[in-house]
Amino acid sequence: MTSQASFLSHRPLLYAWIVRTIRARYKQSILGGLWAVVQPTVTTLIFSLVFTYFVPIDTGGIPYVIFSYVAMAPWTFFTSALMDMVESLVINMNLVSKIYFPREILPIAALLARLLDFGIAIILLIALFLYFQIAIDIRMLLFLPAVLATQIALTLGLGFIGAALNVFYRDVKHVITLVIQLWLYASPIIYPVSSVPEWLRPYYFVNPMAGILESYRDILLRQQPPGSYLFISIGIAALLLVVGYGFFKRVEFQFADVV
Amino acid sequence: MAPSISFDQITKRYRIGQWLPSLRDALSSNQHKTAENFHLAVNNVSFALEPGEALGVIGPNGAGKTTILKLLSGVTHPTSGSIKINGRFSALIELGAGFHPDLSGRENIFLNGTILGMQKAEITRRFDQIVDFAGIGQFLDTPVKRYSSGMYARLGFSIAAHVDPDVLLVDEVLAVGDYAFQQKCYAHMDLLRRQGTALIFVSHNMEAVRRVCSRGLVMYRGNNIFQGSAAEAVICYSDAVREAARQIKSTTPSEGGLADRVMTFDAEIERVSLLNEDGMPISAVHSGDKVLVAVDVHFRTAVAHPIFSFTIRTVDGRIVYDTTSQWRAEQTPCFKAGERCRLEYTLALPLLEGEFELGVDVAADGFTHYYDRLERALSFWVQAGAGAQGLIDLRARMAIKPLEAVPEPRGLIPA
Repeated sequence: MTSQASFLSHRPLLYAWIVRTIRARYKQSILGGLWAVVQPTVTTLIFSLVFTYFVPIDTGGIPYVIFSYVAMAPWTFFTSALMDMVESLVINMNLVSKIYFPREILPIAALLARLLDFGIAIILLIALFLYFQIAIDIRMLLFLPAVLATQIALTLGLGFIGAALNVFYRDVKHVITLVIQLWLYASPIIYPVSSVPEWLRPYYFVNPMAGILESYRDILLRQQPPGSYLFISIGIAALLLVVGYGFFKRVEFQFADVV
Repeated sequence: MAPSISFDQITKRYRIGQWLPSLRDALSSNQHKTAENFHLAVNNVSFALEPGEALGVIGPNGAGKTTILKLLSGVTHPTSGSIKINGRFSALIELGAGFHPDLSGRENIFLNGTILGMQKAEITRRFDQIVDFAGIGQFLDTPVKRYSSGMYARLGFSIAAHVDPDVLLVDEVLAVGDYAFQQKCYAHMDLLRRQGTALIFVSHNMEAVRRVCSRGLVMYRGNNIFQGSAAEAVICYSDAVREAARQIKSTTPSEGGLADRVMTFDAEIERVSLLNEDGMPISAVHSGDKVLVAVDVHFRTAVAHPIFSFTIRTVDGRIVYDTTSQWRAEQTPCFKAGERCRLEYTLALPLLEGEFELGVDVAADGFTHYYDRLERALSFWVQAGAGAQGLIDLRARMAIKPLEAVPEPRGLIPA
């Protein structure tokens, strides 16, 4: 009883839960998986209008649409996965309070299920690259897995903490919604890092998403390896993952008692 | 052989009142030690279950039954004590827990099976049996949200029961299924038991407990007040509920709660007696004797058309005879507050040798609730000759004749 199983011993359940989450999300929906790209696309289009015609932004000669979408697609993956993770325990409380299985399966599955959406968003990204005929340095693509892994580690770490806290305090969900709204503007998504004031630069990359998103731009748009800010992001993400998972497993056994 | 379940001196406390734990409390691994408002959901309860045994856990709402199930399934941890479960564990605690309403029956079978710990190949192998048992064949690809509650229940039970568990927990879930399906479930539980599954069955349905379980455990306010045979446990529970209801009724006459849900005591059974033809109280009868069952009822408030019932059972709970004024289509009168009446049943008892029990109840018109109910009002012994065994003396006569003396037709020839 005292030993707590980890999700590794319950992989079939993890897979089944991912499939369930994805299937359930797009049942009775006409656009289905396309919804995954509607949201980032619409946001990108609006920003493109504003920052191309109203307040032109210097993107270094890159079309604004693709400039912002390269960051918007992973950002949407980050926020949607984080929100899903945070709610994953509470919306499945009937299960959590009745049957035992390693609880982290629910938040992990929530994140992995969003990976499909991200894949669809990437297909659109590739289409944009082809349309705008932007050259890509194949060698630089080798950095992508590291950046994506950092992003996933960061999401998992925050998601574990958020999901566990949300069981105890439902305020967490609202706080995170708010934080995500502000976070968008604290990250290089709609503007380039070059427009961040000089005095703010040293602190700017304390935001781990800043390093991650800027790395995507380095690799895909500037054909160069990610800057050293990626190391800051890796450090923070790794720390959050360890702390978050530890916290989650520590309070896991209380979930069913709180409801 | 090691017991399937060992539930050893388990105590579970919940904090009540201010339920939000501070962050520090949530993080501390040792349970909160300060003596704030605690609720003892389960207080030092122990039991062990061998393979093939079935234990019925009964008790009123809030007695700790569900907490016991949660502790067994590992969803929550005991404050003290240790629980050991040997073998594979399956639980039917909530019907179709984890079912997704938008997914089809087929998809949910795989999902639910996986949640219950089955491998995919195993589910595939048992798929047809699961579908068959649930009887949902033609709706396999319909989203389960369009299922009736009965179909939902059947599918949920069917999956959990086909996990081949060593230990199966069944909560109050079969109530939704129809009668035929319930019978099927009981038969299936019997089968699992014969194959060595240890079964824990939580129910408010006393007949079901008697039907399914060999042993019974009665919970009352977190305490285990009785452990023994299922039939004895049911009687103990019934008495405990009556006692509790009476106390609540006498101290707080107009308040709701337990009393109003189980028994209202608007009519109270004051005395039940078994009398012989001369009107003398007896506790043993000869098989076939005519007897009189007299029930004295005191109506505390005005009661219109109550339903009177009485039941004769064997000591292990099998019903020998059960009758109600409703089934007999007998319109009972309206009674005024304070009125007392004596109800008399005259009957013969062509029973075979053994001990029998007599239960009596007075229920509201339409069987919405009981006014009063005595599961075992009294027990009596029937004396009969040694010529037959069973429950009822069918008075078979035996004769031996030369076959030639028997006129045609001589009856069916056994194949």
